Amino acid sequence: MLNNLTTPKSDFDVIVVGAGHAGVEACLASSRLGQATLMITSNVDRIAYMSCNPSIGGLAKGHMVREIDVLGGEMGLAADATCIQFKRLNSGRGPAVRGTRVQNDKHRYSAHIKAKLSQQPNLTVMQGEVKSLILDRGICLGVNLQDGSQIFAKATVITTGTFMNGVMHFGLQQISGGRIGDQATVGLSDQLREFGFSVQRLKTGTPARLHKDSIDWSKTEPQYGDEKIYPFSFRSPLKFQLPQVACYLSRTTEETHEIIRKNLDKSPMYCGIIEGIGPRYCPSIEDKVMRFADRASHQTFLEPEGLDTDLIYLQGISTSLPEEVQLEFLRTIPGLENVKVVRYGYAVEYDFIEPTQIWHRLETRPIRQLFLAGQINGTSGYEEAAAQGLVAGVNAAHSLLGKAEFILDRDKAYIGVLIDDLVTKGTREPYRMFTSRAEHRLVLREDNTMDRLGDLSIALGLVGSEAKTKLEHLKSRRTSLLESLQTEKLFPNAETQEKLLKIPTTVLNKSISFEELLRRSEVSCSDLKGLNFSIDEDPNVSEPVEIEVKYAGYIKRQNELIEQAKKSEELPLAPTLNYGEIKGLSNEEVEKLNRIKPRTLGQAQRISGVNPSATQAIMIYLKSQQRTDRSQTENQSEFCEGRGRRSQSSVAIGTVVPGAGC
Amino acid sequence: MRNTLQNKDRDLDTICAISTPQGVGGISVIRVSGPEATALTRKICDFFPLKPESHRAYYGHLSDPRTASVVDEVVALYFQKGRSFTAEDTVEISCHGNPSIAREILSLLTSHGGRIADRGEFTYRAFMNGRIDLVQAESVLSLIESQSKAAAMQSLRQLQGDLSDELVKIEDILVWCLAHLEASIDFSSEGIEVVKQSDLETKMGDLKGKIDKLVKSFQQGRLIKDGLKVVLTGIPNVGKSSLLNLLVEEDRAIVTPVPGTTRDVIEASTNVQGLKVNFVDTAGLRVSQDMVEKIGIEKSYLAQRGADAVFFVFDSSNSLSEEELKELADLSESNLYLIGNKRDQGELDIEARRIAVLKQVSQSIFFKDLPGFCDKLKERVLIVSALDKKDGEVIRANLVKRLEVEQFEDQAVLFQARHYEKLSVASRNMERSLVLLRQQASPEFLALEMKEALLSVQDTLGKRFDDDVLDRVFKEFCIGK
Repeated sequence: MLNNLTTPKSDFDVIVVGAGHAGVEACLASSRLGQATLMITSNVDRIAYMSCNPSIGGLAKGHMVREIDVLGGEMGLAADATCIQFKRLNSGRGPAVRGTRVQNDKHRYSAHIKAKLSQQPNLTVMQGEVKSLILDRGICLGVNLQDGSQIFAKATVITTGTFMNGVMHFGLQQISGGRIGDQATVGLSDQLREFGFSVQRLKTGTPARLHKDSIDWSKTEPQYGDEKIYPFSFRSPLKFQLPQVACYLSRTTEETHEIIRKNLDKSPMYCGIIEGIGPRYCPSIEDKVMRFADRASHQTFLEPEGLDTDLIYLQGISTSLPEEVQLEFLRTIPGLENVKVVRYGYAVEYDFIEPTQIWHRLETRPIRQLFLAGQINGTSGYEEAAAQGLVAGVNAAHSLLGKAEFILDRDKAYIGVLIDDLVTKGTREPYRMFTSRAEHRLVLREDNTMDRLGDLSIALGLVGSEAKTKLEHLKSRRTSLLESLQTEKLFPNAETQEKLLKIPTTVLNKSISFEELLRRSEVSCSDLKGLNFSIDEDPNVSEPVEIEVKYAGYIKRQNELIEQAKKSEELPLAPTLNYGEIKGLSNEEVEKLNRIKPRTLGQAQRISGVNPSATQAIMIYLKSQQRTDRSQTENQSEFCEGRGRRSQSSVAIGTVVPGAGC
Repeated sequence: MRNTLQNKDRDLDTICAISTPQGVGGISVIRVSGPEATALTRKICDFFPLKPESHRAYYGHLSDPRTASVVDEVVALYFQKGRSFTAEDTVEISCHGNPSIAREILSLLTSHGGRIADRGEFTYRAFMNGRIDLVQAESVLSLIESQSKAAAMQSLRQLQGDLSDELVKIEDILVWCLAHLEASIDFSSEGIEVVKQSDLETKMGDLKGKIDKLVKSFQQGRLIKDGLKVVLTGIPNVGKSSLLNLLVEEDRAIVTPVPGTTRDVIEASTNVQGLKVNFVDTAGLRVSQDMVEKIGIEKSYLAQRGADAVFFVFDSSNSLSEEELKELADLSESNLYLIGNKRDQGELDIEARRIAVLKQVSQSIFFKDLPGFCDKLKERVLIVSALDKKDGEVIRANLVKRLEVEQFEDQAVLFQARHYEKLSVASRNMERSLVLLRQQASPEFLALEMKEALLSVQDTLGKRFDDDVLDRVFKEFCIGK
């Protein structure tokens, strides 16, 4: 694609600005695809830093970590290696809504990633402040640094997180910066705005960090993790790599709420200083107290930030109230009566680029060879950021390699849902992934990530040869487990019946396959062991097979819905299509369609404000176009049939068809 | 129609058509719709203002601008863009009901740039301009084709959006349930109870009730649209064909005194209190040696099966034969009426004849396994004469009253088989959803069931892209019948 691009000189193939979770995956993807890659960060000590909570995963987020992992990203491996508490959320519920979340040792996490970066061929890491982009006729040619130097590259990926024009709020006091201890990136968003980008403002917040020795743990409730680990990464060992610790539960009190209510005028959120929109699902404690006024208490988890640190993260209590107010209300929470705060909570307000201005490949529409990933696109969360980083890194590399754009479909991955949502609908608040955002949730499970993306990953080539072999091996083991479940039979002899009663499940009246037995809701894979069936106990093998067998009926129905949706998902819309020509579209619809330029009719349907009748109109227009195209080549005869042309003579003057006036 | 669907340029044309039926009448209406509607009207109606007021009628002489000769005195009614049926600028020109006048006006319009509308094109434009939804578009079709007042009424209500309104209500509740279900999945770790199970169950039960009511109404909808089917049966020569002729008020069946005259199934329709009723006369039921008559009798049995009502006709001047009683027992499952013909013959009065018949039935061995059959029949024995027109009225009135067709009057009714299919699917989804909810199954499965139900409702409303549905609906406009 860029063969004809002549740059004065290219120091690198790809520059990645930022070293957060998006930047890391982008760099690794690009360099692993053979591109000479430069990572520029304002602070090399904060690479892959967990700026907020010391944990990875969660419902729908855990799904994305596994997807990143199968595709060859690093997040899953790092999270497994530094896990100090492992939990499978919703383990009692159906397979599609189970999600993995781990607590991490945040410093070990960063160290793990830093080590990976330093071992990575084709990758250079440098510390520096990016001032602006080098632009030439709508193409990004590299970056200008604060010190006046220029670095040229064929593609640039921006992953600046909350740093663009970042402002931190501590009560009514404001300090420029993207994170405590780090400078904001100033100038970049102004340049993009000047170029015509719509740049908006969002906010997020973080809670206080407490000293562990100042907490009375006896007044809190310990929360332990699961005893068995099912690692994020198929490449990780099936065991804990660090000692496991507990988190502790406590709750706010009426007194806490009273103090917060009394001091709302000192909250920048509530006195109108912050213009940015915060996340509704991860609200500050001020928000929670005001929005759920009838609730006497909100839970909070006290989470250790690591094995060797004294800091405790106070999950659920993010705030931007002044320090003295924070201390006052914290001390009303049981266990925190004498708490020492090491660092107070604060809010960050930052610029983001309205994401409908980027393509699915995460390249911006206005500027070629410029890719955006992470919070700059309006998302929230490490996992959402890393997922975009990987996709942006791959696409930056692909654009140089002349390879097809890398886009994941909505029925294949949460990452596909994430990016399609962003570029189609945009976002007004920090976008966080939820299982409900995936309309094909039942087939987008954690357990079947390898089945969904394994082959694609091998073709993509980010995983090393060892991991590739493992992917293939696990796949063949799953196939053979399913085969033996289908072919091996269980006969109704006395011994078998006795064992079945122990499970307990009903006895057999005729021989059945193990697959049929496993379909019974009360029978699990581990029960089959006792019936002399040899089960592959690797959860990467047994879990997906068991779920596919148990929920075959629902999975089939979900697949039927996917097939139905394909009718429109697979109908391409040319980026050159001028929607203004289509009759029956409102001005608003025309404006939106022309701006977003959906890839398919399916995507067009998802644009908010585009009505169902618009889809019909587009469809009809496309047909007429096809028809015009065809009639230009063949002199078609007129005929009256369902899709055919009606004979003109039948509507000649004077022979009005009855009912024509309807 | 289709060429409109196929050709975008045609959608920019100003279309015109005579909107009233062909033939001589009081007035005829010519409808003109499109961007040039007012300009076009002004060319032939010099009294029509440059900027007419919407929903206002203008009176004047319509003339041929080339010859300046007056064609007719007319009233031109203007509907502004956005406030008309098609959502385009529309003018309706009312002229005198002479077909040649209407045709001349139409010809003037076309020679000044108008185009004759295709069948259904006004509706198509209303749909394309978002003025009506798919359900309403379909109702326009039924409205045109309605063969009775009841059917027309229902179509009109559908066009006015009764069914759409009901479906949108259903859609809203479905979305509410889904949203709460989804939220309870996504916030499961926050320790917040998003929705109480009992609240959800109430809503879902309500939803199922609404959907089921619509599904059930299809039977009624079908009755209203296609009419009732009433089969006349009985042994030969009791006067079934005479009765048919009486009921439809014309001589449809050949009547002779020879038993077995009717050898095939004869159908004739009439309108009873605004409802279409199809009467089916069948070959008399008897053991016959005649090949043709045998086939006819076979068909008679078949015809009884799909009937909304069966009239068992007998000769009331005689008692019922064993053969007839056996036949009656066989028909006990159907919506049966006993029509005793030949009131004018024989001695007994009407009441005595009714009592005699009922007594005979109650004492017959064929009915000893059918308790309650006699009671059911009590109100359903009519003694008539096929020669008396008044008796025809009595039978018809009785029939409509009993079938209770009006019970759905205040509610949206399903007409189209397409709607019925979709909503039946949704009903089954709701059924399963409620089971899953009570079993406390994982909410993701419940969500799938509800999502499928939602898609069915949206399909019915034409909210989801489906080329095939669009084709099916507008094809009927195109070809006609």
